[in-house]
Amino acid sequence: MSSFSRSAQQWATFARSWLLIDARMQPPGKIASVCSVRLQGKHKPIYHPLSDIGDHVVVMNTRHIAFSGNKWEQKVYSSHTGYPGSFKQLTAAQMHQKDPTAIIKLAVYGMLPKNLTRRTMMQRLQLFPDDLLPDDILRNLTEELPQPREIPRKLSEYTQEERDAFPMLWTPDFQLSMVVHFLTYRNTTHTHTHLVGWETRASLCNR
Amino acid sequence: MSLLGMFWNQTVCLLQHFRGRKNRCYSLAVRAVRRAFVYASKARKAKRRSMRQLWIQRVAAASREQHMKYPALIHNLLKCSVALNRRVLCDLSITEPRSFQSLTALAHARRTEGLRAALGDGAEPPGVFSRITQLQ
Repeated sequence: MSSFSRSAQQWATFARSWLLIDARMQPPGKIASVCSVRLQGKHKPIYHPLSDIGDHVVVMNTRHIAFSGNKWEQKVYSSHTGYPGSFKQLTAAQMHQKDPTAIIKLAVYGMLPKNLTRRTMMQRLQLFPDDLLPDDILRNLTEELPQPREIPRKLSEYTQEERDAFPMLWTPDFQLSMVVHFLTYRNTTHTHTHLVGWETRASLCNR
Repeated sequence: MSLLGMFWNQTVCLLQHFRGRKNRCYSLAVRAVRRAFVYASKARKAKRRSMRQLWIQRVAAASREQHMKYPALIHNLLKCSVALNRRVLCDLSITEPRSFQSLTALAHARRTEGLRAALGDGAEPPGVFSRITQLQ
């Protein structure tokens, strides 16, 4: 990098890169905060609010985001067009059904600074519900950002050796052994909250 | 030497860019010029604040590139008695990235030693960074 000529170094420093982030099984707020930092350019030491040095951010798999707690049913998105009788309230689940990119879009919009540069930054945010990206965007991508949340493994993804090696906390009664076996291995991962993905919620609702 | 003439001679360079009749008519211009001077005085103090805020934002961005957070960097540099201010740190992070990288490495080492000393059993830590020096 130090062997670049001055104009080449300048070009490389001020270039606008395209960053990719995968939102599968991630909380949408964490994804949005990462996106807003990159869109404003606050991750660069040459930051200035007037410089317009933010990068492009492409988010894929927005359909598969995972809210923690009961937010799919409890989080409410309200809107009012100004005309009487047009106050609409949608739960996060209904919003996601209507438009799978809307939740992340609203989250990022709320996290950007509330000034005239916000709309240009939102134009530089590209959201895709699945991992199918158009060719011209795929060609522009330079870097993939790490996911903010470590996805815990499901019980079915553990091998039998790992399950056997897990310590038993007490020796159960033979009658209850099958129930206790399940209960002991349910909290194998160290997640503090149980995040509900879109497919899990759908399967739970359809049961 | 009329006072009116003196006013226009002294302030014509200041109020050329004012909007409307404030750049032509004496009564309006006098008020506009006084307000402009007041804003300029307030801004001289606010400029120092906003410059420091910008330095902090830039140093925070650069330290996050090196996997360290801004408060940890500043506190640990202070503990190592490295008295670089935010302006210098900001300039280093832009023009001397390797030097800034070494400063973050220093702060990181001091931090791990501090954590080990806090969580450990109070024994003499093995590193060089945390020996307390007598500052004159």
